[in-house]
Amino acid sequence: MNIDHFGMDTITLAGPLEARLRAIRGAGFTQVMLNAGDLVGHPDGAQAAMDAVNASGLRCTGFQVLRDFEGLSGHLHAYKVDVAKAMLEMCGGLGAPVLLACSSTSAHAAGEREALVRDLRKLAMLALPFGIRVAYEALSWGRHVNLLPQAWDIVQEADRSNLGLCIDSYHAIANRAEPVTVEDIQPDKVFLVQLSDFLWHETRTPEDRIETARHYRVFPGEGVHSEQIAGLVRQLDGMGYRGDYSFEVFNDDYKQLPPPLVAERARRSVKWITGLVSRRSLPALRNRAS
Amino acid sequence: MAVNRSVPGPSNLLGMDGIEFIEYETSKPREFGRLLQKMGFAAVARHRSRKVTLYRQGTLNLVVNAHAPGGDTPKLSAIALRVRDAAFAHKRCLDLGAWDMPTRASAMELNIPGIHGVGESLIYFVDRHRDFSIYDVDFVPIARASPKPPAVAGLHWFGVVQAILDGRTGDWLDFYRHLFGFAALPRGQYFGVLPKGTLLESPCRKFYLQLIEPPPGAEDIHWEEGLVRVGLGAPDIAAATRALKGRGIAFIDRGAVQPSDKGALTQVYMGAVTFELVVSRP
Repeated sequence: MNIDHFGMDTITLAGPLEARLRAIRGAGFTQVMLNAGDLVGHPDGAQAAMDAVNASGLRCTGFQVLRDFEGLSGHLHAYKVDVAKAMLEMCGGLGAPVLLACSSTSAHAAGEREALVRDLRKLAMLALPFGIRVAYEALSWGRHVNLLPQAWDIVQEADRSNLGLCIDSYHAIANRAEPVTVEDIQPDKVFLVQLSDFLWHETRTPEDRIETARHYRVFPGEGVHSEQIAGLVRQLDGMGYRGDYSFEVFNDDYKQLPPPLVAERARRSVKWITGLVSRRSLPALRNRAS
Repeated sequence: MAVNRSVPGPSNLLGMDGIEFIEYETSKPREFGRLLQKMGFAAVARHRSRKVTLYRQGTLNLVVNAHAPGGDTPKLSAIALRVRDAAFAHKRCLDLGAWDMPTRASAMELNIPGIHGVGESLIYFVDRHRDFSIYDVDFVPIARASPKPPAVAGLHWFGVVQAILDGRTGDWLDFYRHLFGFAALPRGQYFGVLPKGTLLESPCRKFYLQLIEPPPGAEDIHWEEGLVRVGLGAPDIAAATRALKGRGIAFIDRGAVQPSDKGALTQVYMGAVTFELVVSRP
């Protein structure tokens, strides 16, 4: 495991897209997770944003984020299908291999398993011609799906080749007191791992979790859940996950700091994680040698 | 055993009943037409208002569309599936997440519904193939041309070969299985002289799709997803190759794909067009 397995989300950094891409590349990263706002908010238009990404030399980890898709019906469902199609076209235009879809928070969304499975199958089918994989994430304040095992159950039942999971360490930790367990999950159905920590021990209510998630995340190694994050990465590595890790760190302070300085903190976080994983590997290597 | 294929079974919800026509796009319709004539097709009708020609032999209908902007190399651009109810098939596919085809992309002026397939190709749904033909509305018969030219050596549709990117077999299996009811054949069960990839049988059991990922070590080959060639069934490959050679078609006669009693592959024409013969009875 090395820095090539890690990327940064553009949402962590301040400034124009080009400056953020330069900072990420400058810190030694080879990939970037993009946000729809990077494209539609670019002053010269979406194509200019795509050109900037192509020119940056960074590989695109994925594209975020489709919200509140599953569980709707009637005109609300039709509306969200239109939104999903537009996002898939942007995602496809970028050549991003993964679309991140968060579990719904909508008060209008049904929670019946059958409806959630049906809609995620539809989303996977919409993404299929583009070669895009849909990574479904259990948002810790999701209305019906807010725990990783719930999302995994639905992904399994939907049983589509291009539908898998996004495991986000923040959501997995914020909504549970006990350590996060991912050993029941098939490694090839994990399409993306988003990593971040936060600075307090508990987030008791959905409101706490939303506030913390949107403003107070930090890089792994900087927060107070280092053991849980280390355990999560060790489990993923041990079960054979070899896909991408991206730092999804929403932090108001980092948005006030120069992008190269924040990207450097991300690079230090990579060193912290790879140090943990390689320490885990050493005894196994010694055993094999003996 | 007589089986009424038009009655939809549990795995044939669309009431699929074979291929109605295959469409190619080309900016060189005359040159491609000459090639099709060597392959046994005859031009039988021209579109009333577009640069579109209908070729036919036996049960095979092939539409050459020079109306759409296309390159010099003819491109396999659409498969039209016979279904029980085209509107139902179309709506069901859209409900499951298929993309509707662009407005008026069809070679036809009739309202033939369709969805996006692989690459830039389309999949049409046709339900008017029994009592009257879709071609009666859009096309004007060519004077003195037989409307029903016989097939050379019993040629009939066997299937379509689709190139896919590395690791995409599972995705495209999902596409054809869940939208249409195709079923994957067990690994190792192949027909013809190109035993590669994954074979899918149509729910009507009248034709196959073959999904081909790039071969190992092909990283330097330009490989993109799309429909790459049609397979034509023939009850007697030796007789079929003899007849087609007599009409001026050359077959690859070296290596693993040389003609055998299983099948044969024509040489590449016009930059990328090949036809595959596979032993089969209609």
